[in-house]
Amino acid sequence: MSGFMYEVKKIMLWQRGLFYIALVLLFGTVWLALSDNPVDIAMEQYKNEYEWYLEKVNGYCTDESSLYLEQEAGRIAEAKEKQSTLLENYYDGKISESEYKKESQEIEKVLEHQNGFEVIYQQYLYICENAENRCFLQTNGWMGLLGKDTLNFILFLGILLLVTPVFCSEYSCQMDTLILTSREGRKSSLYKLLIMIVVVLFLSLSISLIEYGFYRFKYGLPDGDYPIQSIRYFADSSKSISLLEGYVYIGLLQMFGGVFLTILLMFISVLAKRYAITLLIGAVSVIIPYIGLSKTCIYRLPLPLPFLLGTDFFAGNIVLSDALMGDDKIIFAEVDTATLLTLLFVSILLCTLAAVWILRCNSNRWLIKSRQKKRAAAFTVMLSLALVVTGCSGRGKIKSAVYNSSANYDCMGYEIIRDAGTFDYYLKNTSTGETYPLACSPMFGVFSDEEEVRAFYVCPPYLYYTTSVMESYVNRVGNYNSNITKVSVIELNLDTFEEKTIFEQITNSGRSLFGIDYEMGDKWKFLDFHYAFFLNSESIFFVDNDGITQVNRFNGKIVKLDIPTNGNISFDGESIFYKNEQEVLTRYYVSDNETYTYENIVAYDFCMDEQSIYYVSRTDGGCLYSCGKDGNNKELISNIPAMAVTCDTSNIYVLAKESGEEIVLPKSH
Amino acid sequence: MTRLIKYEFYKLFCKRSILVVLLLFSVINLFKINSEFHSYSYLADGNDSRSWNSVYWQLYENYKGEITAEKINHLLSIYQPLADATADMTASTAKDNLNMMTGNIYSDRNILEKYYVKPMEYFYHYRTYALKVAERAKENVVVYKERGQTYEVRKNSVIYNLYSGRNIKAFAYEEMYNYYLNYDFSGILVLFLCLYGVVSTFVCEKETQMDMLLLTSPGGGKKTTFAKIAAASLFVISVAIWFSVVDYIGFVYFFGTAEGGGLPLYAVRNFSTAAVNCNLWQYAILSAVIRAVGVWTMSMVFLLISMFGRNALVPFVADFGAALCFIITGASQSCFSNAWLKIINPYSLLANRILFGKTEFIGLAGYPVQSFQAAIIFAITVGVVSITAMMMLSKRNSYCRERRTKCLDLCTK
Repeated sequence: MSGFMYEVKKIMLWQRGLFYIALVLLFGTVWLALSDNPVDIAMEQYKNEYEWYLEKVNGYCTDESSLYLEQEAGRIAEAKEKQSTLLENYYDGKISESEYKKESQEIEKVLEHQNGFEVIYQQYLYICENAENRCFLQTNGWMGLLGKDTLNFILFLGILLLVTPVFCSEYSCQMDTLILTSREGRKSSLYKLLIMIVVVLFLSLSISLIEYGFYRFKYGLPDGDYPIQSIRYFADSSKSISLLEGYVYIGLLQMFGGVFLTILLMFISVLAKRYAITLLIGAVSVIIPYIGLSKTCIYRLPLPLPFLLGTDFFAGNIVLSDALMGDDKIIFAEVDTATLLTLLFVSILLCTLAAVWILRCNSNRWLIKSRQKKRAAAFTVMLSLALVVTGCSGRGKIKSAVYNSSANYDCMGYEIIRDAGTFDYYLKNTSTGETYPLACSPMFGVFSDEEEVRAFYVCPPYLYYTTSVMESYVNRVGNYNSNITKVSVIELNLDTFEEKTIFEQITNSGRSLFGIDYEMGDKWKFLDFHYAFFLNSESIFFVDNDGITQVNRFNGKIVKLDIPTNGNISFDGESIFYKNEQEVLTRYYVSDNETYTYENIVAYDFCMDEQSIYYVSRTDGGCLYSCGKDGNNKELISNIPAMAVTCDTSNIYVLAKESGEEIVLPKSH
Repeated sequence: MTRLIKYEFYKLFCKRSILVVLLLFSVINLFKINSEFHSYSYLADGNDSRSWNSVYWQLYENYKGEITAEKINHLLSIYQPLADATADMTASTAKDNLNMMTGNIYSDRNILEKYYVKPMEYFYHYRTYALKVAERAKENVVVYKERGQTYEVRKNSVIYNLYSGRNIKAFAYEEMYNYYLNYDFSGILVLFLCLYGVVSTFVCEKETQMDMLLLTSPGGGKKTTFAKIAAASLFVISVAIWFSVVDYIGFVYFFGTAEGGGLPLYAVRNFSTAAVNCNLWQYAILSAVIRAVGVWTMSMVFLLISMFGRNALVPFVADFGAALCFIITGASQSCFSNAWLKIINPYSLLANRILFGKTEFIGLAGYPVQSFQAAIIFAITVGVVSITAMMMLSKRNSYCRERRTKCLDLCTK
């Protein structure tokens, strides 16, 4: 067996190299799969509808595509208006069913892809800012692949584990001197160097390919020849490269970063001959600049870190306006090609010098220089480096209670009232007239106007409410943004007045940790806009103007339900009741995701209690009916034409169409 | 024993490499504090007569000290006309207006608003806010008493006592303290240094197989282990305190003032619901002590992990990975209301504003315990458990005992 193979065997087997490589690849893949979120959630959700439009405008924004999108926007707005008029006419008996069906088919055809249109129109607005180098394309894959500038900690720790023992193990048992007396002595260090470079190149390449495969499989990576500016992360980049070229260049730079770190670690281990100091300098040379310096500085340092990150070598200037000082502040200054090449050249030179030094120190002769001198050299390296550097959910069985978004809250003898002056919510005991602040914490809302109660849901003996809290720490434009908006669901036991937070989430897509900004996608953005919610033991349902979002209470999985929220929404713990776009009462079974349409119930408005559904019939001139939850046992309750209906435990409240007065009808059962 | 601890301390931590790293990290820390000042403070714009820095300190003489109606009226008499003139955003944007303090009307309004009007408004109203909290807590006591909720009664009583006397009487410059209290960078440096120092404590002797030899000496075995643990504790506590001192001196030096130390902690807006009633300078000392406890706990865990390694490689990477997990989870969970997550993570003690910034409680046997108290108790418990585990895992100096037995046998024959 040759000396080279002996070294391979030693590094891969005895120093557990293969085990660490497998571990890095395994953890890297698992982490990638677990941590990934689509950057544009709507694009993913309405993928088919979006792709329908994309097929028509794919590529550069031409006059034709621009005209098409503007016309389509007009057509959709017109169709929506026409749809509502048509529905009115049909239910008022002005047009026949066949006429209605015929015309609504045409309208539905126009509105078939409207969700996708909203996504593509947003993209169109972005492209219009600089149509020369921006194209229409599926961006989620490319954004996931290229648009993140965070350090791969798993790869970093893997390199530390793989590279440090290569020389340090020899030094710790003083085998180094013995190796140097052998015929293959000098070659031994060359072999080690080559093996480690190949291993790290393999690791970096594998991770890069795994990421490519993952995003290609999950979102697709089409149109790689489009300019890199087509995705927002590189919006103002001045570099004329395509997305695929960008991926290749970033991948190559990251591979070089890995090799740079490898050579640096080997260099330090040869100088210091100790595990601890090698690991410390290796870790410090990456982590300290990462958390201590601005991106602009990082990308101008001849260190492994900028190459390990790679992405922002191709990003453009980021400039924000400082409202207080009235001037623009450069948050990130683009790295021009000349600077990149210079940095690359200097780094390659440093790597070469370090490699030569490693080989020289392991030349086939007894070492002459004293260890102290080498230690001094190690500290010189550290000093030079330093100088460069200094520039929730608790599960409980919930009883079902019927929820009506349009009805008043009946909270076990309490009434929710809002103070007209302070806008604070209070619970008023209806029998005694005593009031208590809704949020039990005495500190809530006192020190900040940014703490507010948003919505309620009653399920005796609990009252659930959501709060929105905005916190701000150290913050100035151009530096890390530490504004946090947090939405919580709080469970208040109305018997004991005990409070418990059952769900909590930060809604900001941009986050910051130790000054390192990172993107989490707009996954939780909908929480900022919710105005109602309800829940059962598995899920919480947040209602906003765009629809209902179901959040799993155990794993946080989000499902956007295709339920219009322009009318009343009812929930009985198992099903959501709503009016569909044709104003037909519809039931959505939450557990098996099935929808049932009550074909015979077309309603202006409806509400329900545990036994019955009360609805103002649209086809019957606004009369009020009741029926069972299965739609049977239809009974006429009132023949006064009405507009809206709500109910509580004992009464039904009807808003009369003509007089506009509220009529109270007692429930018969 | 004291001598043994002293020897171990000298051997393990009075190495040139550690001293150089300590010095280096202190320098890096000072550079970072300087960059914090230039990045965040609007008063870092030089000493030009029209700079915010000069204008602020000129005005400061008029408004510092006790907040009085005259000072408020005087401030509003300057600010209000500027606010009115700029309300519709049609005022001149000229930057050389001789009638303006900073040369620009918007700039004048902004400096007054950010540095005087808003802080003074907050200081002035704080008493009312605190009184409201105290009243609500008092009302809660009555409500919970009716419902037999003893824990909630006790909790609200503590809140009442904490907030009932709160008041900010004087106006002072608090910006430096705000940034000082939100500064975490040195905590990472402390962790790195402690990790480097601590990880070699046991493995350096294993690497050279001195561990076997040590067991033959009378002072070897458990005595040496205890001495190592004591020396390591001394080292990490010294390092944590040193960096807290460097932080404070650095902030005072670069911001050019230590003004505001006499203000209560809750004068800093992020600490409006602070868990303790103390002054800012007192909190600086408290924070240094708490941080030392956090670093000590993490170091004891590092030390325990390092006992299982034959060399520094795996323990260092494992400890480094564990520290990263603590830091990332601690920092990302810091704004959530689940107090237990903060209590069990020693990072909360390092960046202790997470614990002291909010009045949060957990229930222990029906008694309310503030999150910072629980975190300290938990951290000390983890530290002590780690030490106990290390003592139990360390070998006895069996060679020595065998030799002693043989000697005794010989003597008796």
